[in-house]
Order: sequence, then C-alpha cells, then structure tokens
Amino acid sequence: MALGLASGLQAAPHVVGYERFHAGKPSVEGGAILFSELGCANCHGGSAVEVPRKGANLVDLAKRIDRDWLADFLRDPESGRKGSNMPRMVHGLADPDIDAILAYLGTLGKNANLKVPKHANAERGSALYHEKGCVACHAPTPDFHPPHAPADLKVSPYAIAHPDFGKKTSFAALMAFLDSPSTWRPDGRMPHVALEGQESADLAAHLLDFQDSDPGNANKLKPWPKANPEAVAKGKELVTKLNCAACHTIPGGKAAEIRPLATTADASRGCLSLAPVAGLPHYELTEGQRQSLQAFFAGTRPETDSDGRLTLAAMNCYACHDRDGIGGPTPETNPFFVGDEALGDSGRLAPPLTGIGHKLQQPWLEGVFAGAEGSRVRPYVKTRMPNYPAHAKVLAAWLAEIDAETDAKPLVEHPEDLEAGRKLLGIVGGTNCITCHTWGEQRSLGIQALDLSSLDQRLRPEWFRSYLLNPAAYRPGTLMPPLWPGGQATVRDVLGGDTDRQIAAIWSFIGKGEGLPEGFPDRSSGLYELVPSDRPILQRTFFEGTGTKAILVGFPGGINLAYDGSGARPAVVWRGAFFDAYQTWYSRHAPFEKPLGEQVAALPETGVETGRRFRGYRLDAAGNPVFLYTDGERDVSEAFAVAEGTLTRTLSWTEGSAPSVTHPADVGIATKAGEKTLTFIYSWK
Amino acid sequence: MAFGAEGYEVTEILTASSPSDSRSKEWKPGDGVTLEVSGMEWIGPDRLAVAIRKGEVWFLDGLLSKKPEEIRYTRFANGLHEPLGLLLDGKDLLVAQRAEITRLRDANGDDIADEYLTEADGWGVTGNYHEYVYGPERDGKGNRWVTLNLGMGDLSDNGKGWKGWGGIIGKDGRFEPKSLGMRSPSGLGANLEGDMFFSDQQGTWIPATPVYHLRPGVFYGNQESLASLKSPEAPFQMTVVPKPNQPYPKALEESPEFVPPAVWLPYNKMGRSATDIQVIDQGGKFGPFDGQLLVGEFTNAAVNRVFLEKVGGEYQGACFPFLGGFPAAVVRLCFAPDGSLFVGMTNRGWSSLGNRSYGLSRVRLEKAPFAIKEMRAKPDGFELVFTEAVDPASLKNAFAMSSFTFQYSSAYGGEEMETAELKVVSATPSADGVSVRLVVEGLKPLYVHELRTTGLKSVSGRELDHPNGWYTLNRIPE
Repeated sequence: MALGLASGLQAAPHVVGYERFHAGKPSVEGGAILFSELGCANCHGGSAVEVPRKGANLVDLAKRIDRDWLADFLRDPESGRKGSNMPRMVHGLADPDIDAILAYLGTLGKNANLKVPKHANAERGSALYHEKGCVACHAPTPDFHPPHAPADLKVSPYAIAHPDFGKKTSFAALMAFLDSPSTWRPDGRMPHVALEGQESADLAAHLLDFQDSDPGNANKLKPWPKANPEAVAKGKELVTKLNCAACHTIPGGKAAEIRPLATTADASRGCLSLAPVAGLPHYELTEGQRQSLQAFFAGTRPETDSDGRLTLAAMNCYACHDRDGIGGPTPETNPFFVGDEALGDSGRLAPPLTGIGHKLQQPWLEGVFAGAEGSRVRPYVKTRMPNYPAHAKVLAAWLAEIDAETDAKPLVEHPEDLEAGRKLLGIVGGTNCITCHTWGEQRSLGIQALDLSSLDQRLRPEWFRSYLLNPAAYRPGTLMPPLWPGGQATVRDVLGGDTDRQIAAIWSFIGKGEGLPEGFPDRSSGLYELVPSDRPILQRTFFEGTGTKAILVGFPGGINLAYDGSGARPAVVWRGAFFDAYQTWYSRHAPFEKPLGEQVAALPETGVETGRRFRGYRLDAAGNPVFLYTDGERDVSEAFAVAEGTLTRTLSWTEGSAPSVTHPADVGIATKAGEKTLTFIYSWK
Repeated sequence: MAFGAEGYEVTEILTASSPSDSRSKEWKPGDGVTLEVSGMEWIGPDRLAVAIRKGEVWFLDGLLSKKPEEIRYTRFANGLHEPLGLLLDGKDLLVAQRAEITRLRDANGDDIADEYLTEADGWGVTGNYHEYVYGPERDGKGNRWVTLNLGMGDLSDNGKGWKGWGGIIGKDGRFEPKSLGMRSPSGLGANLEGDMFFSDQQGTWIPATPVYHLRPGVFYGNQESLASLKSPEAPFQMTVVPKPNQPYPKALEESPEFVPPAVWLPYNKMGRSATDIQVIDQGGKFGPFDGQLLVGEFTNAAVNRVFLEKVGGEYQGACFPFLGGFPAAVVRLCFAPDGSLFVGMTNRGWSSLGNRSYGLSRVRLEKAPFAIKEMRAKPDGFELVFTEAVDPASLKNAFAMSSFTFQYSSAYGGEEMETAELKVVSATPSADGVSVRLVVEGLKPLYVHELRTTGLKSVSGRELDHPNGWYTLNRIPE
C-alpha cells in the first residue's frame, strides 16, 4: 500500500479547482482561483473567493510535526507533499537561519494534549476512507476496488496527495487532526468529516498503514532539540520579515503586512519570476498557471463570487456536487460513491447544488455547513457531507443571496386542505408519496427514499412547488416521477384536480398535519400472522437456518416445520405460533424470517453427499405435504402429518437402503420400519 | 406522454379501493383478492389465471361474459415466493418463484393445485431482494426462456449463479444459461415468427429502456453479469469486454458479442421502466397492428407499441406511445380469446402515475386510431405507414428529426448525448396516401432517430394519436 502517490501530480502547486476546470486554457477565472488558493490574496488583498485560503495554524508544531520533515518541507514544500500550495520561502537563507526559524516555530504553543486510544483498526479505517467521502478529494489505496467499478479504474488526476504521514507526524497528532481539522487548517480546505467514536483512530491507522491494533506501539515523534534563545529571537525576526503571518496563524506572532500588488506588468521581478527572488515566495508554476494569473492581473477581476463558481472550485465542493452542470464526481471517483442502489444515483451521489440557496431555508443550510444534529437527511448516501463550522454562517448567507429567486411563484396554503394533503401523500387514491418515501420513523412501502415528514423545515415552499411540477429538471436521473405531468393533476378527485392547491395541501400536511399519511399498514394489529385452523398452511420464504428455498408448514395444533427445498430435508421444527407473513407478502426487502413460536429445534444436515435433488411436493386430501426428492438412484417421498401433539414423518423410497436422515434435538422419537418405508413420530414433553 | 387510449375502450375489472386494498388498515388476509398482478395466462374460453405478488395464483371466471361484480375468483395455488411469471404447459401452469420454476398441477380437477413440482432450478439465490426471476415464456421452437435479475444492495452477490443472465429450461430441469448482460429483464415475449424478446430497465449500465432480441451467445451490456463467466458451465466467453465511458456505438464496435437493443425507448419520452412484452396476434381484432409488440410501462402506467423489421438479418425498429391513463403500474399484458387486451397492474415497490395500488383492466378496440403504424428504415430516410390516408395538405413542414445516442457506462441511467438535428429533405406521400416517404440527411447507424411531427391530419380530418416516434437505426439498409 502506498499512500500519497496520486498520479498526475507535478512539482507545480496542485490547485484542484484550477486543474479541473481551467488548466486547459488560461483565463481570468482560473487566475482568480489561483490568486486565492496560492495565498496571493493574503499578502495582496482582493480575493473574490468567499472563504479565503489560509495556511496552517502553526501552534504546537513541536508536538505534532517531525522536525526533519518540516526542515525539508521549508526548503522544498514539494518534498513534503506532492503538489503542495506552500511556496518556497527560505531560498536565499543560510542553514543557520533556517534552523533559527525552526527553533522559533518549535516554541509556538504548548497546548495540545495528544493521546492515543487503546485500540485502532486499519481495515475499518480503510472502509471509512473509501466509503465516507475521503476519496472524493484524495487518492484511493491501490488495493481497494469499489463494487461496480470497471477493472481498469484509474486514480483521478485531481486527487490531492497526502504527505507521508509516517514521516511527518505521529498517530496521536494525526488522530487529533482528523478529529478537528479546522483547529490546524482554519480555511476549510480540509473540512471536518464528521467522524464518530472510534473512527478517527481507525482512519489514522489506515493513513499510517498501521496494522497493529494498539496505537501505543505506533512510532512517536522525536523530541525537537532544545532551542537556544538567540536562535529563537532570530527565527522570530525572519518569520516576521517573510510575512508568514499573512497566511499562517502564529500564536504570539506579529500581524501580517498587506502589500498592494505591484502595478508593473513585468512578471520577471516579483513572485511570478521564473528564478527564485530572495525574500519573496517562489512557486514552481506551470506555464498555464502563470498565464492564468497574468490574465487575472490584466483582465477585469471579479470582486465577488456572484455565481459560486470560484468558491465551489476553490473549496472543491465540485468533487462531490454538480452545480449548473459543472462538477460532480469524475469517472475515476464516481464508483466510490455508494449507497442504496435501489434509489438510483440519488441513493449514492451528493445532491446537486444548482439553486441550493433558493432550495433550502437559510438556517437549514447553515446547519448543514455547521454539521448540526439531524442535518444529514440522506442516511442511504454513504458519503458524509463534511462540515465548515467556522464558515457556516457566511456560506449560507452568501448562497441565499446569490441564488435568490425573487420572482418564484409562491405556494399558497389553504388551512382547510390539511386532510386532502394527508390523502395525497398516501396510497389510497393519493399520489403515493409514501410508496417510496419514509415518514419519520415509518418505513416506506417500497424503496426507502428521503424522509418527507420534515421537508417543511428544510425547503423553501416555492421551491417545493416548482420541484414537484418537474422533478427531473432539478435532479436529472431522479426516480421521482412527475406526478403533475405538464402541470396536470393525475389525481382528479381531490381538490378538484387543482394542481396548485394539491401541492400546497401536501406542504400543509407536512408542516401542520397530525398523524400519518393515509395507507401505512398497521403492523401492530397482528393481522399478518398465519394461523392454521382446519388444514396446514404452506408458505415459501427466506428463513433462518433453512435458506432461500424454505417451505414453511404450519399444522393445526401448533406444530410447525421449515423444509429446506435446496437440501431436500426438514431443517427446523417449532411449537406454538406459526409465522408472520407480513414481510414475505409485502416488504420489498424481505428479510430472512424467524419462527414465531417457541421450542425451536434445528435438524442438522445429514452430511452425506448423494446428489439429493428436491422435486417439489404434493398435498394429500387433508392438505398435508408430501415432499419429493431423488437421492442417488432412489425416488424418495417424505410425508408429514400432525396428530395429538405429535409430528409424523414418513419416508418411502423406490430402491436400495433408507436415505440418511437427522432428527431435531430434545424431541421424543418413536420409529416404525417397513418395506422401503420408515416412520418417525416426534413428540414433545 | 400518453394520457388516454384513443380508439380503445378501457374497462376497469378490479381496482384497489380502500376497503379491500391490501395496504389499507382495514384489510386482512383473506379479505377479497389483492390482485397485484405479476403473471397472467388465458387458460380457458372465459378463464384467466392470474399470479399475484403476494404468492398466489387465482382463476378469474366470467371476465368476458359477466359484469365485473359477477366474476368468480378461485384461489388455485398459494404459499408461493414472489411469483413473477405464469405459463400454460399442457394442463399445468408453470410459475416462476424466487428459487425455482414450479409446475402447478391439479390432479383431482377441483380447481385447486395439489402438486407443486420443481420444473427447473439451478441459479443462485442469496436472499437479496432484487434477484427477481421472470418467465418462463415459450419461443417458436418450444424453448422455455427464463431471465434472472441482478442483485442490488445488501446480501447481493452477482457472482452467485447467473445473475443478469437469460436461459432456457434444460432437459433435466436445470437452468441452461444462454446470454448475459441483463439488469432487470422483467418482460419476455415472442413475436409472430417465434423469436423471443425481452425488455430491460434503465439503471446501472443501462442508460434507457431497451427491448432486445433474446438469443444465445450474446452480451447485452451490463458488466455486473460477467461475474458468472468464471463458472465452468459458462456457455461461452467474451472475446472482448467493451470499455465503458464512451458512446454506445463505439463500445458496440469493440466486442463481437455485444449487441444493441432492437429498440431503445428513450427515458421519460417513452416512459421509464418497461415490463411485459406481448405480441399483437389477434388478426386485426385489436387494430391494424398485428405482428407488433406491446410493451408495458410501469412508471407511466401505460402501454407502448414497438414496430420491428429485419435489416441485415437483425431486428430493429421504432417505438411509439400507445395506451395510457391506467390506474396503476402496468406489469403484465395478455390477450383474451375475443381479442381484447387484459392489462395487469401493481404499484408494488415503486411508484407510478396510477394512484391505485393494483388493478386489472380490459382494453377493447372501438375504432383504430390515426397513428403511425410502421416506421421503416430506407437507405436515405424512412417510410412511414399510417393507419389511414394522410391529408396531403398537412404534410408541409410536418416532419422534424434528430438523432442521439447514450454513454455506455456503469452509471445508473444516462442522458441522451451527441444529439444532432437532421434535415428532412422531402416528404412524399404514396399514391394511396397511406404512406409517406421521408428523405433525411445525416442518418447515423446505431443512433436513435427521433421523429417529431406537427399538424398531421388524416383525410377524414383526424389528428395523429401520438405525434412522435423513435427509430433505433442499428443498420441503414442498403
């Protein structure tokens, strides 16, 4: 396993939003993204990206980062992480000066209390890494192949490389970072990934390729050498001079100096010069990047991000989301988005962000960014929406502003239409919403699509109205059918077939109605229990201990049998109540069922290989089953009947010796043998 | 989108209503018949056998001669595991269950099955909900075809036993796999020549609804079914597995086993999920469409119509919307002895434009609609044959055409792509006015050709029933 080896990376800084959308052609927009993401705007001001790019918080470096790794990184950021956006800063400085900078950096903060947990599991971490969304931005490990992916799946050229974590940091520090990335990366470029419980330890184990289960055995950070005060003072002076605080949070450091952009068009003298200039940042830019920045300097610079394209590219929202036809997973990352396939792509992909500020109520949107409790409404999508707690307010307000649709037709509610809303949501002459959509805790009747009961807290009503009129316009490929095709109601006898009133009624019931939409079956009624009265009841199903070809027989008198139609043998017997057929008859995802009664006893498999083959069953005049199979050369029939609290099992065969049989445990057995026939009578105490 | 049945009378025989609806609070097992139709076979002059999702087979007597409330319902078989197909075989009925095809036999003639015999098995069953089993349907040679869904989600293992394959019931009752690449092949039906066809569903690897000619030795595109090629019993191996993420026509060129659908039914325009296939074989009693295929449509609660012709030895043709406005998702179709069409419905598991959870309807011809009956490919365009003569005055500027294809990829469904407007150079009516010859520039093999008409009228002044059609031009005739 080789982490951090993303393909397509060069010595140049890897700015995803630029590489993916603008590398092909120099443009003002590409330049604007680079201007933010390379940190230019931090010294020079004037970024249009809504959340500015910053550098790392340099607190507690000595507790978190290996000193040798950092020394190499300062000299050549590319050596520490491929495609790093950190410019070279220390060219022109002598080694003692660089040591002085390190000495100073080593003194910053002593707050971190880093601990390792008792246990970690790299395999679980790998599953998290590949399923929960990390690979939307980062490269997968080569040994992981997602289901449904083509055999020759490649790594995305936009994958953001990892450093060699084993060289850079320790288990404890990496885990702490994963628990709260914004503590050390305040700009949200590495967002919070909503890890729970043990997950950050598992993920750290995966990223470090740490296969031991006790993180106490993981490599620890080498202590940094004791710093001499003169070096520290010298280092501080150099850090101030290099204006590091423009990008980085430096506890106790001096405020950064803003340096207006030179007006000269001569790119050979500043940060863009091909040769490093002492005291200025040096980037190993590609020719395209350089041209884009120059186009940006020369062109009409965007002052704000009025359509979202700059910010979504800069923050790599496009890795998961499409907005206005831009972005979304690439062919290489798409197969890693997994979820409930029964819902189509909506069941595994992140929702599009087209008009998102118009779709969602601003407080809800803010909650989504902040990772508020209950803000994940698509439990079936395995990828977790990352969080941006520090920027939630700003982002939500900004999207609400740029997406506002002031001329959207309003949804007008009629208080008297609540009951019509209940009917329309339901399946008894309604629009069948609950066939596919869950309602609070209530499972739907078919596919388990998005919960409808809280839509009123999330959506703007006017968006809800437009969406229902043409779902596919908002979510291409959605399984949601247009229930008012061409604006015409398909249910004509509710509210006179008035489309607007019907939609408003549904909205009203979601917000203000009490109880459930019409038509959820009442499971508590016990109506689906099969109770044999005068004849046996037979029912096939998936059954525990029996398999996928189980034939259940419930006899009058409370003796029940599960016959395994694959192995041609009785597999389970039990007493009392027979079977609840609800799931088998009505559930779309019928589970492996269990006996309803008690004294459940399994019959072991015979273990004799005779090529036994099930041939079906006959019912005798009383409705008792006679199971049929071939067993080697023999044709065998196996009849079951119940009388006076006993189960009689009669085997008859055409030639040779008796077929092998097993019996249930804890059951009395009486045996009667005849000519090519054998009867067992099972009795219970 | 069809919202009616121009020229046809539709009668609802039985439709879910609150008191007997299987999903209403009041319903309990034994109350009425939950007619969630999953299989239909006409087995007597006035007797229809109906399989329902719950796991039963019912006989309905008197459908043709009695009022709906006088129809007699008899439960013939029960306790089955999600039956999705029914076929008369001698005096017995064959029914597809999850784990086997079962022969239902009534040995004592009391209209209740007393033998449930294993007719065929031999495919893997994991317990995953999506492993539906369809068929059997008989082709002209007597082969009984069965198609197997891919599993999806929890428990699914498409390496286990011929998932996404079609095959026939072999001599010893073993499933004999014949061809692969299916996803959810829920409809089977033979044409008048006895060739078998199946419909598949838009989803992973399937960009839109296809109707395919079902035969041995071919691959229909869904690569999840390749898993079973590892079995020593695989009937053939793929010479080349086509690469994904390229336009369909390109992918088709890569692999000799990979075949295109005879007809694509474009998503949304023609519906969303095809179900049963039923050839029109009623000697004109169901209109002038004999030999064409009816294709059930789940989401739109409709029935579409497919015209096929052979070009270069392979089937291809056009699809048209036909009947619509049914009370629930259309799942099964069959003709009664009197030439009326029975439409079996259930919304189970998904949703449809029909707002009842199940139903059975009867469709009878009143007067054939004015419709594009046939659309035939020509070296330089198409020939349209109408059900009656076209008013020549309405031909001017009446035709527009575009072509498109789809991306071949593992994605769930796909958008139309490479759409191009084509120039309709001329539209010339035949002497009798019943057909119109279109000359079109820029025909592209393997692309879907969308025909849009405006303002066409028959000589008697009728408007065209459905103005558009889609021809899948796999080959341009020479």
